[in-house]
Amino acid sequence: MAHNIPTDLKYTKDHEWTKVEGDTVVIGITDFAQSALGDIVFVELPEIGKTLNSHQAFGVVESIKSVSDLYSPVSGTVVEVNSGLQNTPELCNAEPYSGAWMIKVKLSNTQEVNSLLSASDYQNFLSTL
Amino acid sequence: MTNQKTSLYEEHVLLNAKMAPFAGFDMPLQYSSVKEEVQAVRTHSGVFDVSHMGEFLVEGADAVNFVDFIITNDFKNAENLKAVYSPLCRDNGTVIDDLIAYKLAEDRVLICVNASNIKKDWDWISSKISNFKCTIKNQSDDYSLLAVQGPECNKILQEIGVLKAIDFPYYSILETNFEGEKLIIARTGYTGEDGFEIFSSHSFAKSFWKKLLSLGVKPCGLAARDVLRLEVCYPLYGHELNDEVTPLDAGLAWTVKLSKEAFIGKSALIDYKPRFQLVKLSLERGIPREGYDVLDSNHNLIGKITSGTMSVVTGKGIAMALIEKDKNPKDKKYIINIRSTNYEANFHTKSFITGGHK
Repeated sequence: MAHNIPTDLKYTKDHEWTKVEGDTVVIGITDFAQSALGDIVFVELPEIGKTLNSHQAFGVVESIKSVSDLYSPVSGTVVEVNSGLQNTPELCNAEPYSGAWMIKVKLSNTQEVNSLLSASDYQNFLSTL
Repeated sequence: MTNQKTSLYEEHVLLNAKMAPFAGFDMPLQYSSVKEEVQAVRTHSGVFDVSHMGEFLVEGADAVNFVDFIITNDFKNAENLKAVYSPLCRDNGTVIDDLIAYKLAEDRVLICVNASNIKKDWDWISSKISNFKCTIKNQSDDYSLLAVQGPECNKILQEIGVLKAIDFPYYSILETNFEGEKLIIARTGYTGEDGFEIFSSHSFAKSFWKKLLSLGVKPCGLAARDVLRLEVCYPLYGHELNDEVTPLDAGLAWTVKLSKEAFIGKSALIDYKPRFQLVKLSLERGIPREGYDVLDSNHNLIGKITSGTMSVVTGKGIAMALIEKDKNPKDKKYIINIRSTNYEANFHTKSFITGGHK
């Protein structure tokens, strides 16, 4: 099945996307991730101010049958949280790249985003799964 | 080892079902959306391929006496063409499996068991039969089994013509001929809704599956089945029931008829002081999952979640938990620990929802 992979975003092998906005990144889960999980019914996100290292678990997304950790693609400090997802977790299925953004992180090292996957890298990675 | 496939395997693949190994079979976990599948069964109709389940046929003059002897519930006094749910216990009272026994005739009983326990049940049951005038056959590979569940099923099956009898109460069974095919139809299920389980040949199941889908019955997978049974608090072997507990630990005292003259496990169960109490808990926020710790209001560990999920109907996290009886709090205040955070749970005396079965 073909999955939506916007070319203006960066990706991880954990199926998170990041959108770089200056020294801040927006983070969410990919279309592939939401499709593999099925109906998403619960999202748990960190508090504003939490510091994250790259690859550190920052939250949890749950479908009816499964619990999956969310891993931060970058290091930095959580500056904004999409708290609306608490009451509308189904947005993760409907709008993984827009309405269901999860957190915004102020980068502690702006170079780190360079090591993330491009859309075509991520597409290639998906084809190996 | 390759998994077994049911007769409907190709149909599942054609429908793009998410397949998963279960009890040695490749089974459909979900087809479209678990939520939609659950809602279909609660409000209209759904069909499950449950051909992985096991079927044993007991035949002979002592068939009823034998089944009555090996299970804890009363089978002897059940009317002809009735279905009886029961645990199957060892001499020490622990649960080997839970099953449904169908009284097809005074000398013919069909037993339907969990797929994961077919071999264990067969070894146990067939070893107990020698003093009885009856035989037992393992027909697990001979039958396909479709569970057609939901409030509209009765109407749909009558439209197809497979059901004619008007007076066909819940938990009963009939044998019928339809289009040259011998069918066993039971008004039973694992969803809490009105519904039917149809034992048939593999070829009939294939064509009947397609017929049901063409009439708008939604194909439903094991994930929806698990939510449905948990919303109405039906136990599942390997979760609420297992080799270590007795029926009296798991809220099944109603299925243990100590007044019966003799049955396997009776002497142990008469004197048994339950170690556990099965409780029903829900959360306002968060989803309880199997294995999570349950604490009392002083944060002492008192038990574990045995099954948990998000209820599609209530939109809340729901769970059953086995609580150590001597630690079960009188104030009924329970806390569920999720990823190191404590959440106060709601205690329920009744199932989370009431199914529509009659």
